[in-house]
Amino acid sequence: MKVERAAGPNVEAPTTGAPAFIETHGLSFTYHQSARPALSGISFAQRQGEMVGVMGASGAGKSTFAKCLNRIIPELEDGVFEGTIHLDGRSLEGVSVAELAGTVAMVFQDFEAQLFCTTVAQEVAFALEQMAMEREQMKKRVAQAIEAVGLRGFERRDPTSLSGGEKQRLAIAAVLALNPSLVLLDEPTTDLDPEGKVQVFELIARLRTSGHNLIVIEHEAEELRRCDRLLLIDDGKVAADAAPAQLLAEVELLERCGVHAPGLNRVLNGLGIRAHAQNVDHAEDMIRNRFAHRLPVAAPTPLSTELESCDPLPIDTRRVDGSPSGPLAEVRSASFAYPEGPPVVSSVDLEIREGEFVALVGQNGSGKTTLAKLIVGLLRPTAGVVAIAGKDIGRADAAGVARQVGYVFQNPDHQIFADSVEDEVAFGPRNLGLAPGEVKRRSETVLEAVGLTAQRASDPFLLSKGERQRLAVASVLAMQPRLLILDEPTTGLDYREQRRMMHLVVELNRSGIAILMITHTPWLVTEYAHRVVLMRAGRKLFDGGVRAFVSGDAMLARSSFRVPEVTQLARRFGAISLSAEEFVRWLKTQV
Amino acid sequence: MPIYLYLDRETFLHRLNPSVKVFALFVMFWSVYWVDQPLALVPLGVLLVAAAEFTDSWPNFWRLRWLFALVILFTTLAWMVFYRRGPAVANLGIIHLSHASLLFGFGRGLKLAELLATSVLFLSVTKVEELTEGLTKLGVPYRAGFAIMLAFRLAPLFIDSAVTVAQAQRLRGYQFDRGGPLERIRRYVPVMIPVFMGALRKANNMAVALETRGFGRNARPTSLAEYPTRWPDVAACVVLAGLAAGYFLIYYAGYGAIAAN
Repeated sequence: MKVERAAGPNVEAPTTGAPAFIETHGLSFTYHQSARPALSGISFAQRQGEMVGVMGASGAGKSTFAKCLNRIIPELEDGVFEGTIHLDGRSLEGVSVAELAGTVAMVFQDFEAQLFCTTVAQEVAFALEQMAMEREQMKKRVAQAIEAVGLRGFERRDPTSLSGGEKQRLAIAAVLALNPSLVLLDEPTTDLDPEGKVQVFELIARLRTSGHNLIVIEHEAEELRRCDRLLLIDDGKVAADAAPAQLLAEVELLERCGVHAPGLNRVLNGLGIRAHAQNVDHAEDMIRNRFAHRLPVAAPTPLSTELESCDPLPIDTRRVDGSPSGPLAEVRSASFAYPEGPPVVSSVDLEIREGEFVALVGQNGSGKTTLAKLIVGLLRPTAGVVAIAGKDIGRADAAGVARQVGYVFQNPDHQIFADSVEDEVAFGPRNLGLAPGEVKRRSETVLEAVGLTAQRASDPFLLSKGERQRLAVASVLAMQPRLLILDEPTTGLDYREQRRMMHLVVELNRSGIAILMITHTPWLVTEYAHRVVLMRAGRKLFDGGVRAFVSGDAMLARSSFRVPEVTQLARRFGAISLSAEEFVRWLKTQV
Repeated sequence: MPIYLYLDRETFLHRLNPSVKVFALFVMFWSVYWVDQPLALVPLGVLLVAAAEFTDSWPNFWRLRWLFALVILFTTLAWMVFYRRGPAVANLGIIHLSHASLLFGFGRGLKLAELLATSVLFLSVTKVEELTEGLTKLGVPYRAGFAIMLAFRLAPLFIDSAVTVAQAQRLRGYQFDRGGPLERIRRYVPVMIPVFMGALRKANNMAVALETRGFGRNARPTSLAEYPTRWPDVAACVVLAGLAAGYFLIYYAGYGAIAAN
């Protein structure tokens, strides 16, 4: 089945026969000082009441497309703009962003940049105040919007005190108060933990039910299954425009365009079933129908139900180093609390050995980053001991710790400052007082390892997010640490970049560097880690192998971790599979 | 740990009209400005302590206790270098230790500490939206008032970001405390660049977000919050006006100055 199409507003609408609400013709935009157009001749039509999902790799043109729809482009961005946009039959030419504010609303990925007031109610009222709305009417609108996003009771709270999911829901409430005709959501869950993602997608589903016109930009195709239509953008052009059932079954096309295809569909595709599964039940039915009685009917058999006392050493077949050695990092009954604050980490014991790949998971505020900062010596435990290579970290200097443990922050821009990529990488080794020859040798080696040799003379600030993330890893690697701590290394990266980053991390791990990776992304945990440490409310809830982790139902029910659908599906057949490929291989041996 | 100074309480000062709070800020600055004599500054200090107690703002003052101590100590010492009046009591190199220089230096330190305390108290009882409202009512254009409000709102975020960047560079073996004073300042470049770039990016994102929420669509936006003028506001204005006049009279009568000998 071919879903690629010639762009045009008269494309067959997969859901309703309602008139087009928004239409674009030949939409093109080239950013100032860019040789390549970000958008090329996009023609698109959205029917009244539709929810459209927009997918594509980073830089494909998704955000540029959304910015055209609310006139941020060309009003606030320099560049060459072509094409027309009609909203409810009215041309948007010459309309300013502020004039369009009550009609086309946009929720951005960076929720921190959207919130500037001191209370939730003030935040929601801000746009209404700008419209010079009467106070009594404003109060009603504010109350309705807060109710709609489920934040009633939070009216007097400071937005900075909310969780990530609550902040993004507040950002949505702030635009809903305007009663917009169209709501654009630009990767609204990128920076959220699993619980925050669920909150936001549940809200989006409610908005869809209540008849809002929605355009949702998202990397993860799995999250867009509830859309009426999907638009796949590749290199500024429409690569496909179809219903989710059609497009999400096109696994090769999606991955060629840098989109993470739903795991269930990857399984089906691997089994030669070219179809889209709505959920785990649906996928199970399709597989059983195809292979009839040749498959085991085994009920899921959890390995254990209560795993707090599980052996912390991984029993995983993918463990790369053969012989367990002494602990590289040791945390003994460590606790931490800020002055006059509640404990953030409470009596945690943890060992990380040479060559291990440990995933540190848990919802926001569970103490993951604090624990990592204790290990690297940025924070001192208020009780207990942290030791690196057997030495109490409290007695080591920062440079000494830096030689043993590297820490890559979530935001690469928190450390980049040099004029060139090469200088950025050389910064750490120079601080260690190494000879120029050694600094150069290390720089070349790590740039080669992260694939940035060609950009060695480039300005780091001109690199893509994925490249900056790899540069941040390289600049820490140049210190040759034995343990590398990565805080959410794939945030904001598209599927291709995520795979590339993880390939790099695996290679480093194979070379003997122990990895401690803080992540919210379930498939990264199941596909790459050897061992999982789950934190909850400052305490360690689980420490053990990945297979034991994903089959610990009772423990998972107490956490916010969502087991990948592929693993859930595999368990329906009595298997514990950590990736689509592994499950397909196992299934093929059964039929 | 909270990064903002505002404390959500229900006190008389919290409930004052924003314009009155801005006026109070101005009057305190005005009063401090006219006098140098530490004794003349004491009533203002007592007033500030009473207000801090009344509004339960002590947590903010406690957070900044070292800043207050350093401001008083270093200002006193610095002025004892430059204010060389009166007979020296002891020979301390470049520091001229005399009764007059000690009094003058301490007075300057106290003035700065009182200005700082006034600001802390103001931010402890005033939401940034009230600051915009107060400034606008006093004739400042809305856009300017909003820009000042944003600056107050964003400054703690940038400080927070600077702490993270400094941690990241320290973990790459960087040492900030090497060399003399100038070298130490220069060594903060690896912190300042990422913070500055981050601030630019955030400002750009925020400007776009503001536009999409209709910022600037009306020159005189309405307000969700109501700020009525009540009799306590009028009474506060009368007291503040009296305070301002009183301190000008102290200056005019010469009681606020320090005798050279």
